[in-house]
Amino acid sequence: MQPLLHLKYRLLAPLVLVLGAVIGYPLAFSLWVSLHNYTLTAIGQAKLVGAANYLGLLANPSYWRAIGNTVTFVLVAVGLELILGFGLALLLHHRATPLRHLFRSLLLTPMFITPIAVGLMFRFLLNSQLGIIPQALKALGIHVDWFGSRLALFSLALIDVWQWTPFMLLLLLAGLEALPTEPFEAARVDGASGWNMVRYVTLPLMRPVILAAVVIRMLDAFKVYEYVYAITRGGPGESTETIQYHIYRVGFLYFRMGEAAAMAYTLIIVVLILVILLFYVLRRSAT
Amino acid sequence: MISRRLATQAIILLILCLALAIVIFPYLWTLLASFKTEAALNRPLDWNFTPTLANWQAMLHSEIPRQVLNSIIVGAVTVLLSLLLGAPAAYSFSRFRTGGDGARFAVLLAQMLPPAALIVPLFLLMYTLRLLDTLWAVVASHLTFILPLVTWFLIGFFDDVPPELEEQAMVDGCTQWQAFYRVVLPTIRPGLGAAALFGFVLSWNDLFYALLLTGKHSRTLPVGIAGYWTFRGIEMGQMSAAIILAIGPVIIASFFVQRYLVRGLGGGAVKG
Repeated sequence: MQPLLHLKYRLLAPLVLVLGAVIGYPLAFSLWVSLHNYTLTAIGQAKLVGAANYLGLLANPSYWRAIGNTVTFVLVAVGLELILGFGLALLLHHRATPLRHLFRSLLLTPMFITPIAVGLMFRFLLNSQLGIIPQALKALGIHVDWFGSRLALFSLALIDVWQWTPFMLLLLLAGLEALPTEPFEAARVDGASGWNMVRYVTLPLMRPVILAAVVIRMLDAFKVYEYVYAITRGGPGESTETIQYHIYRVGFLYFRMGEAAAMAYTLIIVVLILVILLFYVLRRSAT
Repeated sequence: MISRRLATQAIILLILCLALAIVIFPYLWTLLASFKTEAALNRPLDWNFTPTLANWQAMLHSEIPRQVLNSIIVGAVTVLLSLLLGAPAAYSFSRFRTGGDGARFAVLLAQMLPPAALIVPLFLLMYTLRLLDTLWAVVASHLTFILPLVTWFLIGFFDDVPPELEEQAMVDGCTQWQAFYRVVLPTIRPGLGAAALFGFVLSWNDLFYALLLTGKHSRTLPVGIAGYWTFRGIEMGQMSAAIILAIGPVIIASFFVQRYLVRGLGGGAVKG
């Protein structure tokens, strides 16, 4: 054999070994845990229970509440991020816009900072006694309880919009910059302008980029945890209990690791489907 | 015609300034809060207050500096390991198509795995190995997402290097391995830098793993920040100072990675 053939596997081997240790083995172990009655308080006495943890989820209202909350959160947050991000990307793509590079650099900053800081900053800003926003609204005669049971999930989604619209903006702006110029010139010759140009030329050309950006954001938004931990801890009631927070609670506050592992596996399936979709979209837009 | 164009520009500028104000306001408000006394913090609408450095002094004499150091150690070790392991692997994926689409898909999937899927087994594993409350546990957990991410980034950058470059080097007498680390690696230096910086930021920002795997001796900065606002009490001024410490450097670093981020995120799927 030629040494070249060996090299490509030699280059790869360390990565495979380490990922096998930190991801592969834990995933296999987690599957085993999910099939056992495994509690942190009695680790030695784990009993095989088969699919009982999974079947138990079907009749578990808290689990479905968490799934429902997470889906609502993801749809509201990612939907708003798409609209705002696309609008801002169009404005920043406009060549005549003054100071566009400065605006771009500063508008992108929220996506880089730690989500726990974002959660705490907004808890502070929106706090009904200490926060400037409710105080200022009160001065105008408006009373809003941002973290009451009716608005809390929506408020968390708005915080996500603050932090992650920049990510949408980043990807969509790059997509706009990579578009060919010919279709736009042809449309201009045909008399299209303004909104029609966006509606009939930009949007269809941007469809693969938009789809990829939305799927990446959805994958990320499904993991929402820090805002919940920083602000509501799932409350009031279960109104902001999201799936990642619920898994944390069941596994590490109630010590029911088997049940938590089973929930985690249902989450992996959702992620797997989304990643397949993303890979397909990325590949198609490349060719 | 000219006045219409000016009007459009004015509207665009207005919208962008509004967006900028929304982005910047939380930063400025937190910075301001870090210089306020407790009494001033209770009167958010009162702009007339005497600034104080007490919060910063208290924060710097708390556990926070130790936690900053922990975060730096974890981030540096994670990123170093990710580059050492990820760069050769990414080169193999890019140049030899090792494993084909399936391998690239696996790298993408690995970085997208939800932390909740891995925390239960990682916690139990670290418990068994007696590594809970050590920085090693945090490094291992951060490798689960930063190693695939760095690899994914670098596949994209290697894909952009023309094969002629190393073919020429090999004609000149280099082995394939020498061509890789003497010729190809230096040409993707910006990609290595961007992947390292972005990987470090992700490690620096992580709360979920660090919260569950660390204890008294090994808390990282995000865990420390989360500890300021508990059901027992709030230290708003100190918390604000710690938040500025956590996000200030990252905001500055972001100006250097933004340029390369799109290429990196497109990674191994864009070509191939």
